[in-house]
Amino acid sequence: MSMDDTYNQPTEPQMDIGGVRNDLPAQAVPTVPLQATQAAVAPEMAPQQPALASRRKFMGKSLAGMVALGGAGVAAAFGGVALARWIEHGGFTSSSQGPMANSTQIGHLLRRAGFGATADELAMYRQLGFNGAVDRLLNYQQVADDAMENRLKALNLNLNSPADQQRWWLLRMAWTQHPLLEKMTLFWHGVLTSSFHKVGGSRAYMRMIIQNQFLREHAFDTFDTILLGITSDPAMLFYLDLTKSTKRAPNENYARELMELFTLGLGHYTQQDVYEGAAALTGWHVRGLNSRYFPQDHNDLVKTYLGHTGNLDYKDVITILANHPAAPWFICRKLFTFFAYENPSTDDLKPLVDTYVESGHNMGAVMRTLLLSPQFSSAQAYRGRIKSPVEFTAGVYRALGINEDSVSKRLPTFSTLMGQTLFDPPNVAGWPGDKVSALWLNSGTWMTRLNYIDFLLASRAGASNGSTPLVDLQSVVNTHQLSSPEQFVDHFSSFLLDGNLVSGRRTQLLDYFTAQDGSGRGKPVALTNGQSYPLGRVRGTLYLMMASPEYQLN
Amino acid sequence: MKLTRRAMIKDGLLVVSAGMVMPAIFSRGVASARAQALDGSRMAQMASDRTLIVVQMAGGNDGLNTVVPFTDPLYLKMRPTLGIPETKVLPLDTRLGLHPNLQPLQKLWHDGHLAIVEGVGYPNSSLSHFQAMDIWQTLDLSGNGSEGWLGKLVSGLVDRDGHPFKALDIGVQTAQALQSITTQVPTVANVQSYRLYPDPVDADGGNTRLQALMKLYNSYPGTAPYAALLDTTALSAQDGSRQLHQADATYRPAVTYPKGPFADGLKVLAEAIVQGLGLRVGYVTLGGFDTHANQAATHDVLMQTLANGVSAFYNDLAAHGKADNVVVMTWSEFGRRVEENGSLGTDHGTAAPMFILGNPVNKGIYGEPPSLSSLDENGNLKYTVDFRSVYATVLDRWMGASSKAVLGGLFGTQNFLS
Repeated sequence: MSMDDTYNQPTEPQMDIGGVRNDLPAQAVPTVPLQATQAAVAPEMAPQQPALASRRKFMGKSLAGMVALGGAGVAAAFGGVALARWIEHGGFTSSSQGPMANSTQIGHLLRRAGFGATADELAMYRQLGFNGAVDRLLNYQQVADDAMENRLKALNLNLNSPADQQRWWLLRMAWTQHPLLEKMTLFWHGVLTSSFHKVGGSRAYMRMIIQNQFLREHAFDTFDTILLGITSDPAMLFYLDLTKSTKRAPNENYARELMELFTLGLGHYTQQDVYEGAAALTGWHVRGLNSRYFPQDHNDLVKTYLGHTGNLDYKDVITILANHPAAPWFICRKLFTFFAYENPSTDDLKPLVDTYVESGHNMGAVMRTLLLSPQFSSAQAYRGRIKSPVEFTAGVYRALGINEDSVSKRLPTFSTLMGQTLFDPPNVAGWPGDKVSALWLNSGTWMTRLNYIDFLLASRAGASNGSTPLVDLQSVVNTHQLSSPEQFVDHFSSFLLDGNLVSGRRTQLLDYFTAQDGSGRGKPVALTNGQSYPLGRVRGTLYLMMASPEYQLN
Repeated sequence: MKLTRRAMIKDGLLVVSAGMVMPAIFSRGVASARAQALDGSRMAQMASDRTLIVVQMAGGNDGLNTVVPFTDPLYLKMRPTLGIPETKVLPLDTRLGLHPNLQPLQKLWHDGHLAIVEGVGYPNSSLSHFQAMDIWQTLDLSGNGSEGWLGKLVSGLVDRDGHPFKALDIGVQTAQALQSITTQVPTVANVQSYRLYPDPVDADGGNTRLQALMKLYNSYPGTAPYAALLDTTALSAQDGSRQLHQADATYRPAVTYPKGPFADGLKVLAEAIVQGLGLRVGYVTLGGFDTHANQAATHDVLMQTLANGVSAFYNDLAAHGKADNVVVMTWSEFGRRVEENGSLGTDHGTAAPMFILGNPVNKGIYGEPPSLSSLDENGNLKYTVDFRSVYATVLDRWMGASSKAVLGGLFGTQNFLS
């Protein structure tokens, strides 16, 4: 079901009235394969243009003042330090382990810095120890992910279709060997967000994938580089109306949200900064799937923006923002909230902010500081957030090791009914649940979570009448030599619930498993001790584990 | 299934401490209802079956192109391309007319069932969507509130029959206006999916598994994270889904609703009212109003969606003899800038009109359309009516609640309800 106008909110649909919209007329749309890394054409510095102001709004106050920034400040914007080199220079201190048991801590890490794990994955990461696991997650380039890419390619998805886009990304999350990279990309998607509803029409939905590939490629880059890229990202240019912004009539939509929602937060800028920033950001256009900067379309008035005066352009704006004292607190708060827990204290954030400054705004360095912090592994963090719909959808799929095309088609619908549609946030502030995770949960979304589990467990592999269950529990029993109900529950609990079920609740599951009713349908499951149990009881026990309160938490 | 916990909001999270008494609303017993009354219920209890439907127009609706000041020459002067000419406006009186796609609302006006409150806003208005939405929903003018005004209202309602649908939100995310310290508002995306599916191999239709599930929730330690939220969610789902599907099986809408999620949502609300599910507050959202560029085509469609949906809802209720019991109120976080921008759109503004409709409504224009010649320093309208006075009117004169208790102060009332 389409939820479009039920919960889309600000910055929303340009109803799709046929085809791709370029903001320049008469441009043919090239068919570009999924090779989106250089979506933005790096522009030359704008030559000086005579001031041509017509909007009375920024005429008034800013003409006085010196050219304080001009081109000189721009170099700093590209001054990010590569993560590896920064680490080489001793940019972080080693972790403290926090109070969790190692097994619990690794499970926690893989849920937060990824999408959970199978029993085998969990065992592999445990062998690395916590710090080794963090290293593997952050140094993802050293781990091959070809198997996932090949599986995705084999699906022949139409990446201009929103449903296939969602399926493509959910399957990446479920299959990837770079779980933190996908998680970080998801974080950025919720912050520097756009929606396919407003990227230039139904033939240009691909722009969302281009944006997604940019965020993935630069997920751990400097904040400056990420902001520069998203400012010139074709989808974003449409989503927040920079394509409509002209030097004579700057559009203030992007200028406002860039400060309010992407970098500083309310209270650090004035409406005048919005006007002036809008003028500074002019000059971008979208052609086909690329964006391009046209110096002649940039407003060359002298502007005063957040205290800096000059003929500022988009690079100056990004430099000013990334170096603004409020920026590290703003973005580190978002990062900490998403990955650790809500309402962090100043003390919680200070190490992240320090790392931001010391590393030249490197988000990978900040992420390492966060993952190795005692706060990340604290009792406050443990099961301290409600799983998001995407975490739930991809997480169950991953943990159960499912690979079934006929079933993965359904993933986007389930995720939407749980309250999250990838590439379609409710508004430019992203998903409220990313900030306050309790908002993910209500009666309707809770039932969808449980129905999703029910659906997966009751599905069959292969064509519609396939004979093998999608989740073949007899095969799991045989592989892992599960010889008693206790071993069955403990096996699944180990990677679904960190083996962390207080005894009374484990007993409830065992009671359900072993109750004799004998009236159910389906082929009973035989444990390796020879005892058989009704199929409904066996998979019902697994259902209860994933339907449990504990499993709703991350 | 007895709950012995008290839920409290701390830092936006539901936390509980064990051993305390759960608010009456979760206990479903006359005894506990009495306990809550003794507890000093903040809101008066309703003896009637009156219902309020709130329609959120998310993104900032362009009030000036919704209720058009078509005789003011400044209007077309400041909106040379976006302004709606007098010949197209649907006149209400000599000054104001409706957007041409609001024809169904004009009919309600002619029938005496539509009131418009003009110039609604609040002091020092925020041009941020999100702060503005917070303010309208939580009434905390700092924009840092967490409990919604409708959530407060609903949590004060004591229903002796244990109806799970005192309040019902359409969508996948519960609106902030309905967030409450003590109440989990059922949130329904569509009726079909609002149920727990059984495993087809279970011979008992899933009852045993459901019982085991509810036991896992009921016995989840009260000190564990999100305990109250998880508990009440499961309970609300279990009770609500059963009732909603019973109601749905015999509900026949008297009109054909337009296609699309907005009208679908209104149909679910009509169903809850007609089938006697005890609905007091219904909530549905129509999004897409943030029209910074190429506004006309988008806004035209939204006006049509709004008017056709709401009028189908009204006609359905009227045919079922329920139109006397229901008042609909629309709101949006802000209106838009008076002067159109250079992108054939409008930027974030301030004051805007609200629609109040239903048989109980006194037809008329209330408040004063803000002057187009006396704007604030950002070129925005100066509000003439405090939105809290509109809420107060609905609370005091329709819901039989104490607006002072819900809103935390007295803000006056309007006369669109008697």
